[in-house]
Amino acid sequence: MSTIPTGGFRLRRRDLLVLAAMGGVLPVVGLRPLRAEGKPTLVNSLRSLSNPYHAAWNKGGEAFAKSLGLDYVTLVTEGDSEKGIADIRAILAKTGGNAVINIDPNDAADARPIVEACAKAKAHIVTQWNKPADLHPWDFDPYYVAHVSFDGVLYGEATAKVLIESIGGKGGILALGGTLSNTPAIERKAGLEKAIAANPGIKLLDFQVANWQSSKAFDTVAAWITRFGADIKGIWAANDDMAIGAVEALRAEGLAGKVPVTGIDGIKTGIDAVRAGEMVATVSWDPFWQGAMGLSIAYAARTGRFDPAKEPKAHREVYGTGVVVSKANVEAFYKANIENEPKLDYNDLWGRAAGQIRT
Amino acid sequence: MSLATTSANHGERLRSRLRKTAPLLVLVGLCILIGVTSPNFLSLPNGIRVLTAASIPMVLALGATFVILVGGIDLSVEGNIALSAIVLSLVLSGPLGTLGLWAVPLAILAGAAMGAANGAAHVGLRIPSFMVTLGTWFVGLGLGTVLLGGGTIRIVEPSIRALSLTRFVGLPLLVWIAAAALLVAWVLQARTRFGRHVYAVGGAEDLAALSGIRVGRIKVLVFILAGAFYGLAAVMSAAQIGQGNAAVGDGRLFTTITAVVVGGTSLAGGDGGVIETAIGVLIVAVLANGMILLGIPPYVQQAVQGLMIIAAVAISIDHRLFRIVK
Repeated sequence: MSTIPTGGFRLRRRDLLVLAAMGGVLPVVGLRPLRAEGKPTLVNSLRSLSNPYHAAWNKGGEAFAKSLGLDYVTLVTEGDSEKGIADIRAILAKTGGNAVINIDPNDAADARPIVEACAKAKAHIVTQWNKPADLHPWDFDPYYVAHVSFDGVLYGEATAKVLIESIGGKGGILALGGTLSNTPAIERKAGLEKAIAANPGIKLLDFQVANWQSSKAFDTVAAWITRFGADIKGIWAANDDMAIGAVEALRAEGLAGKVPVTGIDGIKTGIDAVRAGEMVATVSWDPFWQGAMGLSIAYAARTGRFDPAKEPKAHREVYGTGVVVSKANVEAFYKANIENEPKLDYNDLWGRAAGQIRT
Repeated sequence: MSLATTSANHGERLRSRLRKTAPLLVLVGLCILIGVTSPNFLSLPNGIRVLTAASIPMVLALGATFVILVGGIDLSVEGNIALSAIVLSLVLSGPLGTLGLWAVPLAILAGAAMGAANGAAHVGLRIPSFMVTLGTWFVGLGLGTVLLGGGTIRIVEPSIRALSLTRFVGLPLLVWIAAAALLVAWVLQARTRFGRHVYAVGGAEDLAALSGIRVGRIKVLVFILAGAFYGLAAVMSAAQIGQGNAAVGDGRLFTTITAVVVGGTSLAGGDGGVIETAIGVLIVAVLANGMILLGIPPYVQQAVQGLMIIAAVAISIDHRLFRIVK
């Protein structure tokens, strides 16, 4: 069984079924007693290692595994859901279920078969960002330990607050939203509206949807400059890509750095723009933390440090804490997270738990 | 108009004329309408902004025009942009970063290569162009995503950024590049044998083949040309935004096809051209700019663009030619 490769290997549907069956059966027929006593293998499953976000995620996983001296495996989906699911099943079969898995599912729908396979193999799993709304950790006690996501309302509001502060609490601002059919776009916009409602001196001049894209944001901001001219005091964007488009449209008019812009996501170009003073804020989700602590939480459950079934729901479907990166902390953030490896207390399981995910 | 009235069936000609000039009338009408409601629209700075917004769609639509003229369709626009822009940003951020502006031909080459693949699959394997290019759209996006892992590379190379940030006679270089592309496309269309053959193939492929035109070769060339134009547009996009990623071309396909069709180039092939496309691009750019100036809600804007493409096709098709519509 241990010869099944775990990566760069495509399985057909029938193989999948066979594998799934083996993943479920093997632990019962004997491998499990042999291996369950041993140390579990730590597994991070993510989209791609050449993407800076998931590269940092992977570094977090490596650092955590090193701290415990455990085997560590990275599974890469390359955006292929089928490969993602097949690889998980293969690793479950290989380890006989003695695994701790932390995954950013390629697609929300992938979470269900993956969680089911893990529960069957008695491996512990934490999912992040994507899962179907009707799939809950408590439906698969104790193996589905937790799901981690981030609160769009909170951080949409947080960046809006920095923006409003940077213009002295009064004046007209503009907002670029993501495609309004998806949850983060709706949540982040709601956060923006909350911040505006709390600041009567601020007027939302216009809200446009730029579909998360920098090029659409560029053209929209150019037209706004015609329409509102000097009335534009600041621009809020629901992600960094659109914020960059806004900054570049301002630059074309000699206004970059003069009209503050905010984004969300903490991509490197966004952090660079904050350092250059052209954006005033973004939010980093701290992928290093996601890669390390997703494993740490699942590992703590596996080793009996806590019983997931007895944890409150706020620790099962949990909002993590993003880092609002603004002028005040960008240099420190850059040094701690981009130039160096971040330092975390792996035992602080719930230090960044910020409440139960709304449904 | 006075010439047409001397003809016996002047009603026929008048209608044809009207169909030809309708896009231009629409463009002028739109400008007046928006200008009256929002006087800022007609200011010089806004004129420059509209031209800047039109520059990238212009280059894309010029490429697509040739494909549509031969009676094909090219849906690979966004995949091609993604791949070419990522090639550009990888070249600039890698050991070849010193290439500077010389990275541009490489990106255009990447676009042309993808166009060649489109043409070869379409002609060689006899697969309808919409199917081939639908496939290569996702091949391009996929390759781009794999090359960059879904990440974003910042483009700091000053000579590339200058394409967007430097102005010549008040206009960003991007606008001049689009104008040059229009000139090149027009010369190819109107002054070369290739251009005549494109119309011949689009008008009646069987007759063109019988009269000795190598139809397959023309089609492959058309797809290569379109790919090269998309590659150039990718460079312009990357220069404008200062970063390359797989999403850089998102949403460009719809505006490209809309611009070509609204300009009056027939989807049936053989009728239309790059000047028509230029007008179509301006209509789309003016409308997009104008709707923001008028404060029209975002999703109404999308609906208006959708209606526009249907209206344009309805006007441009000579309905008596089609007895069955599928």
